[in-house]
Amino acid sequence: MNYLKFITTSLFSLVFLTACNQKDKLLLSEHSVIYCAEGSPETFNPQLVTSGTTIDATSNQLYDRLITYKGIENKLSPAIAESWHVTSDGTKVTFYLRKDVAFHHTDYFTPTRLLNADDVIFSFERALNLEHPYHFVSGGSYPFFQNVGLSDLVDKIEKINDHTIRFHLSHADNSFLANLATDFSIILSAEYAEQLSKQNAKSDIDTHPIGTGPFKLKEYRVGSFIRFYQHEQYWQDPAKIDQLVFDITPSNTGRLTKLLAKECDVVAYPIAHGKITQRKDLSLEAVTALNVGYFGFNVNKAPFDNKLVRQAISYAINKQTLLDAIYQGKAEMANSLLPKTSWAFDKTIKNQKFDPFFAKELLNFAGYAEGFTMDLWAMPIQRPYNPNAITMAKLIQSDLKKIGIQVNIVSYEWSTFLQRLKRGEHQSFLLGWSADHPDPDNFFSPILSCSATKTGSNTTFWCNEEYDTIIQKALRTSDIDKRKEYYAQAMSIIRQEVPLIPLAHSKRYQARGNNVIGDILAPFGGINFYSVSKRELISKKVATKKNKLDGKNNTLSTGVN
Amino acid sequence: MLVFTLRRLSLFIFTMLLLTLVSFSVNFLFPGDSIINLTGAINATPNQLIGLNEAYQTNRNIFWQYIAYLGHIINGEFGLSMASQSDIATEVVKMLPATIELSLVALLIAMLIGIPLGFIAAIKHGKFTDSLILSVSMFGYSIPVFWLGLLAILTFSINLGWFPSAGQISLLFEIKLVTGIQFIDILLSDSPYKWQAFSDATAHIILPACVIALAPATIFIRLARTSMIEVLGTSYIRAASAKGLSFRQIIFRHAIRNALIQIIRHVGLQFANLVTIAMVTEVIFSWPGIGRWLIESIYQRDYTAIESGLLVLSCFIFIVHILTDFIYAALNPLARGNKYGA
Amino acid sequence: MARDKIYLEEIFPSPFMQLWQVFRKTPVAMLGGSCFVFLIVLAIFGPILAPYSPIEGQLDMLLLPPAWNNDGNVSYLLGTDELGRDMLSRLMYGTSLTFGLSFIVVIISLIIGVVIGSLSALTTGLKSSFLNHFLDVVLSIPSLLLAIIIVAILGPGIANTVWAVVLVLIPQFIHITRYAVKEESRKDYVLASKLDGASPFRILYYSIFPNITDRIMGQATLAQSAAILDIATLGFLGLGAQIPLPEWGATLANGLDLFYIAPWTVYLPGLAILFAVVATNLVGEGIRHALKVRKDR
Repeated sequence: MNYLKFITTSLFSLVFLTACNQKDKLLLSEHSVIYCAEGSPETFNPQLVTSGTTIDATSNQLYDRLITYKGIENKLSPAIAESWHVTSDGTKVTFYLRKDVAFHHTDYFTPTRLLNADDVIFSFERALNLEHPYHFVSGGSYPFFQNVGLSDLVDKIEKINDHTIRFHLSHADNSFLANLATDFSIILSAEYAEQLSKQNAKSDIDTHPIGTGPFKLKEYRVGSFIRFYQHEQYWQDPAKIDQLVFDITPSNTGRLTKLLAKECDVVAYPIAHGKITQRKDLSLEAVTALNVGYFGFNVNKAPFDNKLVRQAISYAINKQTLLDAIYQGKAEMANSLLPKTSWAFDKTIKNQKFDPFFAKELLNFAGYAEGFTMDLWAMPIQRPYNPNAITMAKLIQSDLKKIGIQVNIVSYEWSTFLQRLKRGEHQSFLLGWSADHPDPDNFFSPILSCSATKTGSNTTFWCNEEYDTIIQKALRTSDIDKRKEYYAQAMSIIRQEVPLIPLAHSKRYQARGNNVIGDILAPFGGINFYSVSKRELISKKVATKKNKLDGKNNTLSTGVN
Repeated sequence: MLVFTLRRLSLFIFTMLLLTLVSFSVNFLFPGDSIINLTGAINATPNQLIGLNEAYQTNRNIFWQYIAYLGHIINGEFGLSMASQSDIATEVVKMLPATIELSLVALLIAMLIGIPLGFIAAIKHGKFTDSLILSVSMFGYSIPVFWLGLLAILTFSINLGWFPSAGQISLLFEIKLVTGIQFIDILLSDSPYKWQAFSDATAHIILPACVIALAPATIFIRLARTSMIEVLGTSYIRAASAKGLSFRQIIFRHAIRNALIQIIRHVGLQFANLVTIAMVTEVIFSWPGIGRWLIESIYQRDYTAIESGLLVLSCFIFIVHILTDFIYAALNPLARGNKYGA
Repeated sequence: MARDKIYLEEIFPSPFMQLWQVFRKTPVAMLGGSCFVFLIVLAIFGPILAPYSPIEGQLDMLLLPPAWNNDGNVSYLLGTDELGRDMLSRLMYGTSLTFGLSFIVVIISLIIGVVIGSLSALTTGLKSSFLNHFLDVVLSIPSLLLAIIIVAILGPGIANTVWAVVLVLIPQFIHITRYAVKEESRKDYVLASKLDGASPFRILYYSIFPNITDRIMGQATLAQSAAILDIATLGFLGLGAQIPLPEWGATLANGLDLFYIAPWTVYLPGLAILFAVVATNLVGEGIRHALKVRKDR
C-alpha cells in the first residue's frame, strides 16, 4: 500500500516539476541564443590562429577592428577608426579613432579608460615586433600577419595623438587595408596587458580575453560550451540578446539532433538539408563563400618530394565523383585556388583530366611501378570547404587503389589534427581555406608561400622561389590587369608543380529556428551574432486563448504557453 | 565483525596497490617518452623536464619510480591532459560526480522497475504473466545499449519532443559547480530560475538514465524473481498462510522483506555493471561524465588522461563494491563467514 | 517418436543427452538453437555467399534505401551506405566478424579458463586464497571496462579487441570451473573414485568433467552474448574493428552520420546484433532450464 502511494506521488511530482514553469524558461530563452558550434576554439585571440572554428567563436563576438567590410559590394567601412587617409605614394596610412569605444567589464578586469591609440599600437606591435614583451606570449606565432609579411611591410607605427595613429609602410601595398579589415586584425586592451604583466599572468590575455566587441566572455568550459554576455557599453547599440552560448558539438548528427529537438537555435554546417527544409519551423541559408577545398602533399616526405608522383595522383582522382558524393552537387569543381567569384579567376585553366592509365604511366616513370603505401590525413569535422573529409578520403582511397597505391586514413580531434599538421607529421592531407577578404593574395600567400611554411598555414611545406617572387610582385602593383597576369602565372606554376590538388569551392550553410532573426553569416567565412534577436513564437493554443481573453479586456502575462 | 572488517580492509589495500601498479606499468607500454606520458607536459622546456625527471625519480630503478608515482597520486597530482593541457585532477573531480549522479538515478530506476516486476513474476510463477515478463526481460538484456540510446533519442526527443537529447542541463541556466551533482548544485545556487533549472535537469536525466537502467532492470527482475520464489517456498510462509493471513498480508508483511535481503547483496556488483553501461551512454547523450572523457581520451591518444582515468574509474568501482559488501555484511551477520570453502 | 524396442535394455542417457532431450522439448529453445546454427553457418559461408564486396562500393548506387522502399533496388536488398556498399553483404561479412569471432573467443577462453580453473581447484591453502582474492578483484570489474582498458593499452584494432575479450572472459570460466569442481568433489562418486586409488587428474578427467560440461556450456552462452555485445560496443566506439571492416558495431557507428538521410544504416546493424544476442540467450536459457529440470528430477 505504502509502496503504491510512494510511486504515484513521486510520478506526479515528477510530471509536475517537468511541465510546470516552462513559462519562465521561455522568457530566459527569448533573450538568449544557443549556437551549436562544430569544434572548440584553440584560443580566444584570433591573431594567433588561422582556424575558422576559433575565428567564428571570437573575432566578431569579442573584438572589433579598425575598419571592416560592409554591404553586398564589400566596401571598406569605418569601425573603430572613424576615417582614414592614405598618402598618394601609398606609404603612409593614417587612422582617426573614435572617442567612445569602451572595453569589456568582466570578473577579471575593470577598464578605467576608453580605447585610445595605445591600445591599437599595442595590438599591432605585439604581433609585428619581435622585441615586444608580449610577442612570445602564447607561442609567438601570428600566422596571418606572418603570411602576408606585415612585419616587413610596416616600418613603424606612429602615435600622433591619443586618437590618431599613422602606419609607415616600406612600400605601397594594395592589400594593406584589406588585411587590416580581416578577422585577425583585432584590437586588444593595453591596460589589461599592463595589469597582467604586473600579475605575472601574461598568457591570460589570450585565454581570458578582453576586447571591445558586442559580447564579453563569461565562462568557458573546455570542449563543452562558451558563454558570452552582452557588452552593455558597446560603442554601437548593444546587442539585442543578453546571452550567447556556443554549444560545442563536433558530431554532425548531434548538431542536427539538437536543432530538431529545439535545443539549439542556430546550427553550424548542417547535414541532411532535406530534413530541415521539410520542417516549417526551421530554415536553411547559404552564403557563397570564397573558399577552396584541396588535397595537399607534404613535399618534405617521400615519395611526394617527387613531382611526377604528385602529378600522377592528380590524374588518378575522379573529382566529379567526389563532388557528387560529398558535396551532393552544392559545390563547383575547383581547377585552381580561386573560385569564379574572385576577380583574378582565370577562365583559361582547364579541368584536370581524369586519366588513371596516364597516372599509372607517370608512376612507372617515376620509379614506383609496384605502387606504395601512403597515409592520408582527413579532418574529423565539417568545414565550409569540405562537409565530410573522412568519406572523401575513403573515395580517394578507392581511386588510388586502382593504380596500385595503398592509402591509410588518419584522423584526430580537430585542434590536435591542426597541431600535428603544423608539425609536419603527415604525408598527405585533406584541408582547405576560407578567404579572409576579397583580395586574391589571401589565397596565394597563406596557403603556399615560403613564409607560410614557418607559420604552419602552408602544410605542404612547398617553397618555390619563382612563385613567391610573382605573388610579391602582384602585391606591389596596383594595376589590376598586371596583377591578374601575375596570379595567372602563379596558378600555372601550381598546376605544374602540384603541391596540392584543388578540389572544390563550396557554399557555407547554416540552419536556424524560424524565431531567430538577423544575419549571421559573414561573406568571408566568419559569423557575427551582433544583429541577432529572437522573435516571440506563439503557439496556436495560446493565440486563440489570447484572442478570447483580449475580447474580455484582460491582460495576459508576457509568457507563452 | 572486526575480523571481517580487517579482512575486507586488507583486500581493499591489496587491490588499490594492484590497480596503481597496473596504471604505472601501463605508462611504459604506451608509445613515447614515459615521463611525458606520466605527466602530460608536452610543451615542457628542457629545464622543466629536468625538474619532472627529478620529481618522478626516473634515474633510479623501477621500484623507486613506483614509490615516487604513488606519492604523486596520493597528493592528488595526476598530471596534465596531453590534449587540453588542463590539470587532470580538477577535470576528474568535476566529471566523476556527474557520472555518479547518472548512475545513481539509473540504479534507482532499475530497482524501482525491476524488483516489483520480478516479484510479480514470482507470484504468478508458471503462468502467462511470468513467461511474458521473462521474455520481455530477455529482450531488454540483449539490446545493445548504444542502439537503444539512438532509438530513444529518435522517438522521445525528435518525434515526440518530450525530452532533450543531450547534455546535463540547458545551457541557458548558469549553475555554479559546487559538488558536481547537478541537482544539489541547483539547490545550492542563488539563480532566480532555480525551479526551472531543476525541472530542466530532471528532463535531461530521464532519457539517459532509463536507457542505462534497462539491462540492470532485467537482471533485478531475474534476481527478485528467484529470491521471491525461494522465499515463497519456505516453511514460515507456509505457516503464515496456514495461520490464515491473507495473500496481501503475507506478501507485504513477510515475503518482501526477506526477499529483498537476497537482492541487496547483488546491488554492488550491479552498480559496477551499470557504471560501465553508463560510459557508453554518456557518449551518446553527450553527458559530461568521466566515461565520455575517458573514451575521448582514448580516441585522442591522450595517454596521461587514459592512465589517470582508468585508475580513478577502477578504484571507484572497486570502492563501491567493497562498500556494498560491507554494508550488507553489517546488516546480515550470516554473510560475514568465510565465503570460500576450504 | 516410436522406436522399436528389440532389447529390453534400459538406456541411461548421459547427462548431456538428458540435457538435449529436455532442450528439444522446449520450442523456444529450439527456435533459438536453430537461429544460432543459422548464424554459425552464415559466419562460415557468408563471405562466399555475399552478393557484393563489403569494402568496394558502387559509386553510382549511393544511399539506396532497402528494396521495399519506393526508391530501392531489388539487387541491393537492404540498401547501400554513403560509399555505395551493399548493406546485406556488409551484414553477412559482419556475421563472421562479430558473431564468428565471438564464438572463437568463447572457445579459446573456455579452454584456457577450464584448464586453469580445474588445476587451481586442486590446490588449497594460501595459493587458493590468493587466487580467490585475485579472481574476486577481476570479476568485480565489469567486462566491458576491462576490455576498454586492455584496448586502451594495446591500441585500437580488431585483433587487439579479440585478445582483450578473451582475457576478460577467462576469469569467468576459471571461477565457474573452480566452483563446479569443488562442488562435485564433495560428492560421493568422487569419493568412491578416490578410494579406488585414482590420481587427481584421472578423477578430474573421467568423473568430474562429464558432470560439469553442461554448467560450463551454460556459462559459455552467457559469455558469448557478453562477447558479442563487447565486440560490437568496442567497434561502435571506434576502438575495435577499424575502417573498412564491416563489423556490426563499426557499421552502426558509420551510419550515425547518415542517421537522418539513411536511417537504415543504423537500424539494420542494430537489429543484427539484437538477433544474434537473442539467439544466444535463448540457447543459454534453454540449457539452464534443462539443467534445472534435470536437477529437480
